[in-house]
Amino acid sequence: MSFFNFDQSRHNTAAPGFSQAHDPFASLANRDEEAEEIDFEDTYDGLGDQLDETDDAFNDDTFGGDTGEPGPVGKDFDFFGHTAKVANVIEEENVRFNRQQPAAKAPQPVAQPSAYTPIAGPSYNYFAQAPVRPARTGYEKYHEQPIEDLQVDAALWGVAPKKQPPPPAQPAVPSAPSGGRKMLSLEEVEAQMRAQAKAATPSPAPQHQPHQIPHEQAYLYQHQAQNQPQAHFQAGVVEPLYHQPQGHPMTILQRPHSKPPTPAQPSSQPPAIQQHQQPAVPQQPTQILQNPNRLSGDAAKIGLPVHPTPPSGPQSAHQGHRQQGSLPRQPPMILHPAQLAQLSEEEKAAYLEQEAKRAKRNHKIFQMSRDNGIMTPQDKNFITRIQLQQLVAATGNPNEHGTDESLAEDFYYQVHSQIQAGHRQHPSQPLNQFAQTYLFQTGSRQGGMRRHNRGPENHMQRMEQQVQRAVEAAKNKPKNKQLVIEGSLGKISFSNAKTPKPLLNIKRNDSASDVKKAPHPVNGRDKKDELRALELVYTTLMKMEDHERNMPMAPAEDDQEALAKVFAWSNEGQALNEQLWKALRVQDHDQPGRIHPFMALLSYSKGKKAIPRIFRHTNHEQRITIFTRIVVNLDQLDVVREAQVTTDDIQFNAAMRENIELFSAAIVTTLFTFMNELGLDLVAAILGLVCTRNVDVIAKSRIGASMLTMILSRAELIKHNGGGSEQDWRSWDMTYTQFFNILEPTLPYIFPGSIATDQDTYVWQLLAAIGIGASPDQQQRLVIAVKDRVMDTVSLAKTLPPALAADRLQNVNLFMRSIGLDVELLQ
Amino acid sequence: MADAVEDAGSVSEPMDLVRLLLDEVVCVKLRGDRELKGRLHAYDSHCNLVLGEVEETIYVVDDEDTEEDDLKTISRKSEMLFVRGDSVVLISPFTRS
Amino acid sequence: MNARHFSSVVQHILTSSSFFKTLIDHEVTVELKNDIQIRGVLKSVDQFLNIKLDNIQVVEELKYPHLSAVKNVFIRGSVVRYVHLPQESVDIQLLEDATRREAANQATKAKQG
Repeated sequence: MSFFNFDQSRHNTAAPGFSQAHDPFASLANRDEEAEEIDFEDTYDGLGDQLDETDDAFNDDTFGGDTGEPGPVGKDFDFFGHTAKVANVIEEENVRFNRQQPAAKAPQPVAQPSAYTPIAGPSYNYFAQAPVRPARTGYEKYHEQPIEDLQVDAALWGVAPKKQPPPPAQPAVPSAPSGGRKMLSLEEVEAQMRAQAKAATPSPAPQHQPHQIPHEQAYLYQHQAQNQPQAHFQAGVVEPLYHQPQGHPMTILQRPHSKPPTPAQPSSQPPAIQQHQQPAVPQQPTQILQNPNRLSGDAAKIGLPVHPTPPSGPQSAHQGHRQQGSLPRQPPMILHPAQLAQLSEEEKAAYLEQEAKRAKRNHKIFQMSRDNGIMTPQDKNFITRIQLQQLVAATGNPNEHGTDESLAEDFYYQVHSQIQAGHRQHPSQPLNQFAQTYLFQTGSRQGGMRRHNRGPENHMQRMEQQVQRAVEAAKNKPKNKQLVIEGSLGKISFSNAKTPKPLLNIKRNDSASDVKKAPHPVNGRDKKDELRALELVYTTLMKMEDHERNMPMAPAEDDQEALAKVFAWSNEGQALNEQLWKALRVQDHDQPGRIHPFMALLSYSKGKKAIPRIFRHTNHEQRITIFTRIVVNLDQLDVVREAQVTTDDIQFNAAMRENIELFSAAIVTTLFTFMNELGLDLVAAILGLVCTRNVDVIAKSRIGASMLTMILSRAELIKHNGGGSEQDWRSWDMTYTQFFNILEPTLPYIFPGSIATDQDTYVWQLLAAIGIGASPDQQQRLVIAVKDRVMDTVSLAKTLPPALAADRLQNVNLFMRSIGLDVELLQ
Repeated sequence: MADAVEDAGSVSEPMDLVRLLLDEVVCVKLRGDRELKGRLHAYDSHCNLVLGEVEETIYVVDDEDTEEDDLKTISRKSEMLFVRGDSVVLISPFTRS
Repeated sequence: MNARHFSSVVQHILTSSSFFKTLIDHEVTVELKNDIQIRGVLKSVDQFLNIKLDNIQVVEELKYPHLSAVKNVFIRGSVVRYVHLPQESVDIQLLEDATRREAANQATKAKQG
């Protein structure tokens, strides 16, 4: 028969295994299986009420029957029944009593507090002053071992020093250590009550309270303790305890110290540290419960008495009690038989119950924290490092940009942040290849809609600058002023000089037949095919960019291996280049009635965007071929063919506008840059190619006009810089004349929209570019062709606000000055 | 290298079709009677998408006259939109029609 | 360490938060599947696309007053329908290339695996 209805055979299930920590609460484990919180009343079977004390052979052992104290165990003893009913009342009374007269009732119990005080915080009130409810503590077993051992663990954790700071208010508490009677000052009581209020949540609080109050004191008294009678605690010296002020905080505090006194002092550093930590230990419940194995070992080291572990091998004396269900109480009984005997039945019952609750709680805490301290901080650090490593491997270390691994996994972020960093912080810092790739395009590609405007503007600005430079250069050259001025907008003498037939048969890269209008076959198959080609282009481009990054170091002369590497590298580059070239289909033959495959790619926005990148990864010949291809098929482009200007103020739809912007930003700019590297011969050849196409169609689109401006102004700049051979110039002049003749009839119709529009800047630029290179005769014809627009704009300017008017006039003037005139002359 | 050519050149998996639509205007049908039209800038295998210049159309059936199949549509625009893949029903190239 | 193993987890440009990482500290609008739109400063994103927003503001505050007192939120990724992004903080060309790279990686993996 067991008090808690234990199945005794199961008792040992909780016994520690071989390497297992000693679990002082192991005997409670079975109860915990039933429920987390067991209401004592629910589980109690009333057996206690039926106990016939006289039949209990071990009663004396349990309750210290040999003492002649009052209130001998009688039949009416019950562990719970009655006391439970009054428990609350008692508690209240206790508190009230404490408050009113703290010291008055200190009498009976106990050295016990000292036994389990560190945890028994709230209960020592009861001991001191009022009947205590019986309770099991989890601490019965700690008597023998754990508590003093716990100190060691604090050292393990290296946290001990932090715990020492005493709450300032508390020194008052133990101020009268020897005046045992007055154990609790008013402050103490208040502090306790506060603590108790906090302790509404069960588990850790009790441990907290007592120590909060006294721990500093304990600390202070540490040395004192050695000399004081409190040393009585050692090994079953119970006697002096009676004379100790019962429940006095000091006993609580000093207990731990009373053990190590002699050995600890002389011993070197570690024990000393541990002693200091002692008071701190209870503050952190988990530490109390730290791995006892370690603790006991440490305790042994310090020379503390290491008590035998009791749980599974109960001493014979207590066996009986256990069977009676008093098993958990056994250790306190042993240590303090007399004290218990002193208690009245009620007190005992209350006390035991209290103990039981605490034991349960402690057991739970113990269970939770059983493995505490298994890992040292070093272990934890190690694990943390492993985890961090894995995280870094998985997500990429922000500190190591550009490693292949992180780039592969985190391409967008890596490059993006490099570009950003490049913009923001270290503009001069060399970016890695990828950042360069994308930065390179920043001005020209559609990186975001905000760039939409920037790109073309840049481009237009540069174009304008170029035209202006050309105009300036032309102005410095002597012109046939008289003729121009006379003829300008007034009586104009036509020169009948025949336009020479082009003598130069400009070669074409392939047999581009005169396809007037190539219908764009947008059947699904072709489209998918084109998209696939484009994706291949991009795949290849990215491979080439990767390839570029992996360029091996320049090898030493005799380093065969390195040479081989370089060789392999350049071979690979060559292969990629061929692949790209093939995918672009630039040299495919033009088929009548069909748009050229390369030009078809340019109708996709990603096709347009690819051009700047393609130009970075192709050689000069390939670029010229691309340039030529674009010029030859300019009138096939949707941005030309479907974007013809009219005199109506009709806006193209958004898609087309976007298309034009993109083409201008991505392709015209690229070609413009590239063209500035070309010599006059090539420029002339390109212009000749234009002449074979539908010049009127080209000129009537913004893209086409820009292209023409680009070509013409480049020639003028070459002239200005003194470039080009005689032969080249002769060829150029012929081509120009041919071009002019073709274009002339269209000139009045190349303006976008009505006069009211302010979108015609690019047209004036084109006219200026034409005007610079024109012969006087051509200049006259030019003026006649656009006279109306000039006059209209000038007169419109008079009605406009000055700023706007200035803009418009400036545009016109760019043209006027190219032929040696000025709008001033017209006003 | 050769592999890559084939990879990009032939469509072997459904997602490869989506790849062809990168930087193209696409039509995306979503759960909850929604449709998006926008330029496809990114996708992944969960069909998470990033679309630019998006126009969203929500089809709302008017409760009052359900008989007439009166579809009300709500249109919204967003300059840049991340779409979580679990809403995506289908992605198709946008054809002007 | 075990990068290969993890790489399968962080494969996708959009779910790897590679993309969203660049948007941290930018203002975004998260639209939930229940139509609530929350504008706020993006603070963090994980691979599930769980999202943390600071300084939030509910777009149609009158319609959804119950969030008006909340200053920051953690949004479970699965309830997100859209995230409206600031266009200027997305590098489109780069994003498209990153998507292409990933598609290529996937293809290679599919071939190997």
